[in-house]
Amino acid sequence: MSSLTLSDLRKSYGKTEVLKGIDLEIASGEFIVFVGPSGCGKSTTLRLIAGLEDVSVGEINIGGRVVNNLEPRDRDIAMVFQNYAIYPHMTVKKNIAFGLRTSKLSKPEKEARIREVVQILDMEDLLDRRPNQLSGGQRQRVAIGRAMVRNPAVFLFDEPLSNLDAQLRTQMRLEIKKLHQRIQNTVVFVTHDQVEAMTMADRIVIMKDGHIQQVGTPEELYRNPVNIFVAQFIGAPSMNMLSASVRDGRVMLGDMALPISAANLAEGMPLKAGLRPDDLMLNPADPLLEGHVTLREPLGPETLLYVETTLGEVILRAPGKNPPEVGEVVKMGALAENIHLFDALTGEVVK
Amino acid sequence: MRLRQNLTIRQKHILWAWGLLALPVIFYVVIRFYPTGNAILLSFQNWNLLGDRTWAGAENYIKLWHDDVFWKVFRNTFVYLLLGTPISLVISFLIAFHLDRVRFMHGFIRMLYFLPFMTSAVAMAWVWRWFYQPVPVGIFNNILASFGIPQINFLNSTTNALPAVLAPAVWAGLGFQVIIFMAGLRAIPQSYYEAARIDGVSGFTILTQITIPLLKPTIIFITVFSSIGFLRIFDHVFNMTTNNPGGPLNSTKPLVLMIYDTAFNGFNMGYAAAQTVVLFTVLLCVSLLQLYLLRDR
Repeated sequence: MSSLTLSDLRKSYGKTEVLKGIDLEIASGEFIVFVGPSGCGKSTTLRLIAGLEDVSVGEINIGGRVVNNLEPRDRDIAMVFQNYAIYPHMTVKKNIAFGLRTSKLSKPEKEARIREVVQILDMEDLLDRRPNQLSGGQRQRVAIGRAMVRNPAVFLFDEPLSNLDAQLRTQMRLEIKKLHQRIQNTVVFVTHDQVEAMTMADRIVIMKDGHIQQVGTPEELYRNPVNIFVAQFIGAPSMNMLSASVRDGRVMLGDMALPISAANLAEGMPLKAGLRPDDLMLNPADPLLEGHVTLREPLGPETLLYVETTLGEVILRAPGKNPPEVGEVVKMGALAENIHLFDALTGEVVK
Repeated sequence: MRLRQNLTIRQKHILWAWGLLALPVIFYVVIRFYPTGNAILLSFQNWNLLGDRTWAGAENYIKLWHDDVFWKVFRNTFVYLLLGTPISLVISFLIAFHLDRVRFMHGFIRMLYFLPFMTSAVAMAWVWRWFYQPVPVGIFNNILASFGIPQINFLNSTTNALPAVLAPAVWAGLGFQVIIFMAGLRAIPQSYYEAARIDGVSGFTILTQITIPLLKPTIIFITVFSSIGFLRIFDHVFNMTTNNPGGPLNSTKPLVLMIYDTAFNGFNMGYAAAQTVVLFTVLLCVSLLQLYLLRDR
């Protein structure tokens, strides 16, 4: 078991800096998910940890060893690639055994190790097949098997589920999570899908433009986003953002005063009020917003309502049964603790 | 119009396909299949190009069987094949493998390798003939002389002439093979190599276990393609030995040159046709054998 520490990690290609100082401590056995839009540097970070790219500035420490100048094979890591990188001309067994080619284990030990991995992944029947005879999920498992067989301190996953269809993705997500609970290795998992991040991670690292935006448990990120980017990235549908301002010592949303103290906010300061579709209540005692329904998206247990207000469009999660009709005028409100306030200029949270 | 509307979509597709194929099909029948059939027919006849064709039965083939020159030429053709194909395959792979990693002036270097492929065989053969001259003209002998090594008689020796003729032929085909190999190398996903790096296997293992197996379709194509080329070698030999085509003493003469000689110097069309049929059969067998040996098991 090993911890992983990144200190002031930077990476530049020519003059373009793609990673602008990453500091992160990952505890042994932790399941960390890097998430962010494409080009945010999450895959680069993973490749730096793997040793597939050279570090420009900073330090990578795996299990108490600085590994900056170590070859990938000496870093005690294993990686699962987006396209699986399993060799089409080798059988499943040979593919898994390929990870052990350089290991110093004896032949029976290697055999035992392969058998163990195959058992965990439930692939006994597939050993003699070629990758083109496997389904997407089975290929994925072969790729994981090849990584597992080396028994690394740290597992690296580079968007491994993005080539699978939606149903299989949900299933593999569970399998990987169960696998982690069982083998307890440190995992660094990269994805652009916030649902994957929320469901799998012990802690999520949200990145944008080469910077870490926020690190925390899925719960923390959802409840207390530190800026507008994190607030809108986590949660689907996204958090509603409405313009607000400070007037006469009160936070005003249009003509309504929000039930929030403006004690340490400057008069006239432009703000954004963030309201999650889940936190908006339909026709409450003290409404904040009013508008007419323009569109309904029935999802079964709930219905998403698109409501046109004077401040802009708002999405609201209404019950699945008897939701308001299209065209109907609805009033909406939210509890004070569920209203997020951000500085409109910097995007940082102010409450 | 009524008729067209009554056709199913599938029938319309077939109609279209045959409509578009008609021209090449007619062309192939007239230009390829008819002469092929005619040549096979001719191989059982005697004809001097002017007189009447007369039936000869299997006479031409029997004559061929007892012709010492034919067996010499037959052997030469296979020497061209068995030396040329593996040598050009290995060299072009090595060039492509390393050129793939070169970033510096990549396009320019690739152009240099491709240039001989576009050059006329006649011009190339004459330049190489000049290379092969004795001191003080030929560059190779000049280099040897400057190291004090005895002169080598390239084109006038029965043992050296064939390799000396083969060298420019190999060189001329390299550019094309390098391009095909590079395309094959580029098609291998980078993540295969990255996965291997993480597994920490040696460069040799990567080459033999990953690169070469994944290049198999490319290798099959180049092997078959260059084999056919070497079995049909003619222009390089003809132009490098113009004074005495195929010489000295038939030591460089390939089958196609013998066919040319028999037909257009000896005017023995039936005999030439019999040789052509043999060459056709050999090409067919070699190609099928290679496809069989290199098939995907």
